[in-house]
Amino acid sequence: MPRRTNSRTGIARYQQVYTVLAQALAEGTIGAGQALPSEPALVRRYGVSRTTVRRALERLAEEGSIIRRRGSGTFARSGLQRAESAKKMTRILDDIRGLGTNTRSTVLQFTKVLTPEFLLRESPDFGESALLIRRLRSIDGEPIALMTIYVPERLATLVTPKRIRAEAVRVILDKLGHRAATAEQVTSAVAADPIASRHLKCPVGAALLNVRKLVRDADGQILDYTSFVYRPDCYELNTNIARFPSSVTRNSTARMRKSQTGTRGKDRGSP
Amino acid sequence: MTPPPATRHRSVGGRRSPTGVARYYQLYELLSNALNDGTIPPGTALPSEPTLVTRHRVSRTTVRRALERLERENRIVRLRGSGTFARQTHDTKKLCLNLHTFFEDIPAIAGKTSATLVRFKSGLAPAVARELELQLGENAQVIQRLRKHNGIPYQLSTTYVPESVARSIRQDRLRRESVLTVLDRMGPRTVKAEHSMTAIAADATAARELRVALGTPLLRMRVSLMDGKGKVRAVYEGVSRPDRLKVRAELERDFGVKPRILWRLKR
Repeated sequence: MPRRTNSRTGIARYQQVYTVLAQALAEGTIGAGQALPSEPALVRRYGVSRTTVRRALERLAEEGSIIRRRGSGTFARSGLQRAESAKKMTRILDDIRGLGTNTRSTVLQFTKVLTPEFLLRESPDFGESALLIRRLRSIDGEPIALMTIYVPERLATLVTPKRIRAEAVRVILDKLGHRAATAEQVTSAVAADPIASRHLKCPVGAALLNVRKLVRDADGQILDYTSFVYRPDCYELNTNIARFPSSVTRNSTARMRKSQTGTRGKDRGSP
Repeated sequence: MTPPPATRHRSVGGRRSPTGVARYYQLYELLSNALNDGTIPPGTALPSEPTLVTRHRVSRTTVRRALERLERENRIVRLRGSGTFARQTHDTKKLCLNLHTFFEDIPAIAGKTSATLVRFKSGLAPAVARELELQLGENAQVIQRLRKHNGIPYQLSTTYVPESVARSIRQDRLRRESVLTVLDRMGPRTVKAEHSMTAIAADATAARELRVALGTPLLRMRVSLMDGKGKVRAVYEGVSRPDRLKVRAELERDFGVKPRILWRLKR
């Protein structure tokens, strides 16, 4: 039996059903031209009323993602297209990242703050205060990612408002001799809060991909801590992971294999 | 997410507030993120009710509903007369998958957790089958598993393996072992994984199995396991609860691609 949609979550049931269906359409799980499950089937699947299902479908129809044909059912309209454009965006982001073509980066916030507790707890060497920069990255006017960047105070004077309009924080520091060498990255899924919702044009509560990175130079000095929040319909984090030859197979065969495949992963997904 | 101090003063909702999302929920989401990322660290006080009312321009009732929900979830404790405090999080109980030690971590996690076999059969939806069978080179078999840690379900996964491989898999092994280990035993050895991550809202099945509300954000991982000849041996797709599984990676800069800053997994 399907669990009833929890009405105490603060998100109306029709909104929950809408989110899940909108995602299936955007992802192409329900491809363009394909029929959606019938209303009674959706009622059963989500354990909600017919009215709830209808409200969710009405909203999808209003947005133009589905077409409802009297007597024959409901059909996906642009699922495939949207999935295609999403792939394109990922590619663009991979190719021109950091170069500034086509992508636009808007600075939303530029403030000196006390280093947040969580950062100090994880990295006590961050320093007492930080420069906080929040920026929005868009491609062809479409918002893709919201970035929250903390720069330690000792480097803050190098990152001027004028410079960050032209370049990424990490590129600025790199050119000034503070070269990134290592990073610790944590990936998670988060619900869009009102701030992310406003900038990324998605409903509050929508699933977003969160990538957090703490970057250090070769001497282990912290250069920046950045939290990226991506719209999942526009971005995937891809990593190629190669396996080290195990000690058991560390022989000529393993060495040959090494030359074919390499032994290092390459994170192609993020700046 | 890391809501910086200044943004906390913004009002929630407003004219552009999307319908279908309660104001209290928006405030809840802001506070919840602040608790998750440690902006409000364990043991410290949350802003007072009147402060939250002024900062976010919402009613006292809205503030109370948001706090009540956090209290129900055991994330805050409200002490009469002295305020509301963030509780200790249980991060230490969180499972951790390190991408730079992926091939060691996968079998280790399988050993620490238990899996229930939800489905083990052949026959896929034609669209899925076409794409996969091109990759696998023959008919695919579905292995669907629900993985638990300390009795709590945290990951629902579907793995596709060639039927010839599936025939020699002992089903009981799949409760304790990773598909990677099972494949390794059969040979040829897996030498490469193409890993991809994104976020996804929990659909009806995931919500039921992982015991979360419909639409809850989940981390989705897709992995193709490949042998030395570049042949795909298995395709894995799993959704996991981000509050139960942490995915980490230690990276080092790839200086071979100057002047850009690109990263690769630490060796």
